[in-house]
Amino acid sequence: MNYLEAISAPARENRLRANIAFGGTCGDIKGCLKKGCFSGNGCLNLAGRRFSQTQGCQFTLSLAILNTLRNAVVIMHSPIGCGTCTISNVGVNKTFKQLRDPNSEGIIWLSTNLDEADVISGGERKLREAVLFADKEFRPETIIVANGCVPSLIGDDIDSIISDLQNQTAATIVPIHCEGFKTKVMATAYDAVYHGILKKLVKKPERQRYLVNDDVEALKESYKIGRNVNVFNVGSMSRADELELKRLLNALGLNVTFIPCYAEPEDFQYSLESSLNISICGTHDDYFLEHIKEKYDIPFIIDTMPIGRKNTDRWLLKIAAHFGLENEARKLIETENAELDKCLESFRETLKGKRAFISGGEVRILATAEILQDLGMKLVGFKAHHFDEFIEPVFDALENVDDVVFDVATNQPFEQANLLKRIKADILITHTGGNNILAKIGLPILPLFGPAYNYLGYSGVFEVARRLNRVIRNGQFNKQLSLHTKLPYKEEWYKKDPFTYIVEQDAV
Amino acid sequence: MSKFVDRPRYTCTLGGALATLRAIPRAIPIIHASAGCGHNLHNAINPGGGYLGGGYCGGLSLPSSNVTERDIVFGGENRLREQIKTTLEVMDGDIYLVLTGCMVEMIGDDLDAVVSEFSDYDKPVLPVHTPSFRGNSFTGYELVLSSLIRKYVKKQSKIPGNVNILGIVPAQDPFWQGNLKEIKRLLEKLGLKVNTLFGEGEGLESIRNAGSASLNIVVSDTYGITAARTFEEVHGIPYITTGLPIGAEATGNFLRAVSDALSIDKTLTEFVIAQEELIYYSYLERLADIYNDIDLQRYAVVVADANYAPALSKFLSDELGWLPELVVITDLLEESQKYILLERFKNYQSGLTPVVKFDTDASSIKKYLAEIRPPNRNQRYYDSFSPAVILGSVYERDIAGEFGFPLLTVSFPVTNRVVLNRSYVGTNGALSLAEDLLGLLVAGR
Ligand code: SF4
Repeated sequence: MNYLEAISAPARENRLRANIAFGGTCGDIKGCLKKGCFSGNGCLNLAGRRFSQTQGCQFTLSLAILNTLRNAVVIMHSPIGCGTCTISNVGVNKTFKQLRDPNSEGIIWLSTNLDEADVISGGERKLREAVLFADKEFRPETIIVANGCVPSLIGDDIDSIISDLQNQTAATIVPIHCEGFKTKVMATAYDAVYHGILKKLVKKPERQRYLVNDDVEALKESYKIGRNVNVFNVGSMSRADELELKRLLNALGLNVTFIPCYAEPEDFQYSLESSLNISICGTHDDYFLEHIKEKYDIPFIIDTMPIGRKNTDRWLLKIAAHFGLENEARKLIETENAELDKCLESFRETLKGKRAFISGGEVRILATAEILQDLGMKLVGFKAHHFDEFIEPVFDALENVDDVVFDVATNQPFEQANLLKRIKADILITHTGGNNILAKIGLPILPLFGPAYNYLGYSGVFEVARRLNRVIRNGQFNKQLSLHTKLPYKEEWYKKDPFTYIVEQDAV
Repeated sequence: MSKFVDRPRYTCTLGGALATLRAIPRAIPIIHASAGCGHNLHNAINPGGGYLGGGYCGGLSLPSSNVTERDIVFGGENRLREQIKTTLEVMDGDIYLVLTGCMVEMIGDDLDAVVSEFSDYDKPVLPVHTPSFRGNSFTGYELVLSSLIRKYVKKQSKIPGNVNILGIVPAQDPFWQGNLKEIKRLLEKLGLKVNTLFGEGEGLESIRNAGSASLNIVVSDTYGITAARTFEEVHGIPYITTGLPIGAEATGNFLRAVSDALSIDKTLTEFVIAQEELIYYSYLERLADIYNDIDLQRYAVVVADANYAPALSKFLSDELGWLPELVVITDLLEESQKYILLERFKNYQSGLTPVVKFDTDASSIKKYLAEIRPPNRNQRYYDSFSPAVILGSVYERDIAGEFGFPLLTVSFPVTNRVVLNRSYVGTNGALSLAEDLLGLLVAGR
């Protein structure tokens, strides 16, 4: 893979033929994968909706990573509104950064505040002023310039403005081309961010060399690098999640660096002194890992997400296999499982048979479903932001899901509201954002992720079980809401097929 | 010539429009823009407005045409037409407003033409041009209101004693609902029929019938004025501007201004004011002990929008007896607007004159603080700016932490508190403000 000559990363509907509108069952989804719907002409590729609700863009999703980078200032090159979603993060950002480095600053961002005059004459002046101000005022290591839709429509030549400015700033300037209107697949954001990072921040670190070759030191170094791995974290992961994965990999004798979230700029350099790149979610990382493989020859693993016992086992074994440590890994897995299994018993008693509907990112929802099956719960529905080839390995850990409803929709809570009239559920497990609709359906909700909670690894299974058990014990808040509020959909909508508005080919 | 903004305390025109419609029950916005705009703005307005929530149709349920580059190449009108049609099939509302994002305005989609195709629908479907490059949240409020005033508010004969309230922008004022309620309570005491357009007890009908008012009261020097002018032009309703009344004195002046404009019997007005003051001081009097026992006077820094900043500063100075030495007004303002606002800082009873700065940038506050009180250069005797309190937004948390000043978040964004029906205006609101401010100071006791 090499797209780095291009200004920006390609949209995922083109690169991966990803789909954002599909209604069927898990069985259908598996069928699509077998038929090769994501290769060749990509039969699901251009599906869309005749009715749609707001869904997020790659700009806002890019910020989920960009806003976590330490020692960076983010410039939203756009009118004043783009990226104000950062407000939802501003209060907690510093706390989370400080879990990695106690001296971290909270998030600093500037908007170039493009107005009508700029739309006519170009946004260059304001971008220049913002970059120079950021450099002088905050002395960051990195200045990230995230482009919204407007500069791209004006035709600002961001890259040349930036290479010119680079001579005047101490900070490295990283352009991120994440214009919202360029793609319907929000997850293109990950590629957009990695594209900028690959171009500007990834380079071999400068090291002092020995004047005289010292074989012992050289051996030591290569031994160390031979045990260094990078784990690619995601914005929705907590520090507790990281510590759990670190604990497991340390047990196999591996040293772990987490990138890209909450990383410092030079972490991307040191990440090259490593022998394996490990993804926890294919949806996030393939663009980066493929490029690194091609350019620096570092192998990678993209497989399942380590949520749930079976998935965690599998994830560990794959990594162990790379290092020839399968036996050690098996021992670890055995001990971990034995202890955890016992501790889940009491939760199984309360949760057994409870029906759950899960919505969020494709990989995460299926991985989380494994925990629910482990607890004896019943899966009654899935809703995935989008759907592409990376979903495949995550199905393996699930049993008897072929008949379970699978809705592919980035947000679009109207479809889920309709589905929940047909499907009886006891609990919803949901991505943040759409819950003002789902809460009013009256069911208890467990967030699908939370940057303050543990979901991953073995400890994550216990923590999810514990929280499910708590949430299900008292659902009065949402239940009362449902009795006193009304959803904004017409009665006729509930009578229609939930997938009525999906069309194979987008209306253009 | 405008400049970049360091951590803006507002969203764009579209954001202001969405927040305003969020305040009208059963109003359905239809966003004609890219897929991200609505989502992004909800994630600003919800937490920034003290967890305002999506409301009836809000958040991720907002209908949106989600146009992409492909649609833009061919023009987004077909997609918009389809989206309006299907929205009317799915979404249960009483009015539908089609709002635009920047990209569809730049390619020149004919919003009005497409929307006019739906004029036969049994509920109104109205277009509002809200490209984000045309202003900020405050502009969005004006644009939505002006469009409703022109196209939706019924032409009616004026009823003496009916008044509308303008100038409090939902979400941008996190306490909008409580504030409107308190203003209504106060004016009702003058025998007025008060239409706050949004908030408790109001609905779409309130807006429909707003044309019966004989006066528009704009409780702001800067916001709601375009809407008031549109009312004047289209419905012949005059308006007054009063500024945001916080505290007994400001409330008294506010009631007098309204009563003058409507020629209300002065004795009634003075009676109401006296009654309010009596109640107000019956509460405030409780502080006589603790305030003086442990010296609860503080220096203060106010960082807020054009509505709150002058009102808070004056309240702190003339009623709480504090020293608001520095006031930073964070909005994007014209010179003429700044001039009007500066007038509000004159003639304090305390004799104080705060330093007033107009600055949109979060990083500026610290510089101004150093300006008004040069830092200690190892002097043995140093008259420090302490003890002090900051009234601002959550952005001021860092500086508050650095100097060890308690912070009360009152202006957008307010993400560190949940706001339901709390108010900071009028006499009741001023009591809440005193509770919250002094509450900070005794929290460790
Ligand atoms: S204008 Fe574009 S970049 Fe900005 S929020 Fe909307 S879709 Fe995203």
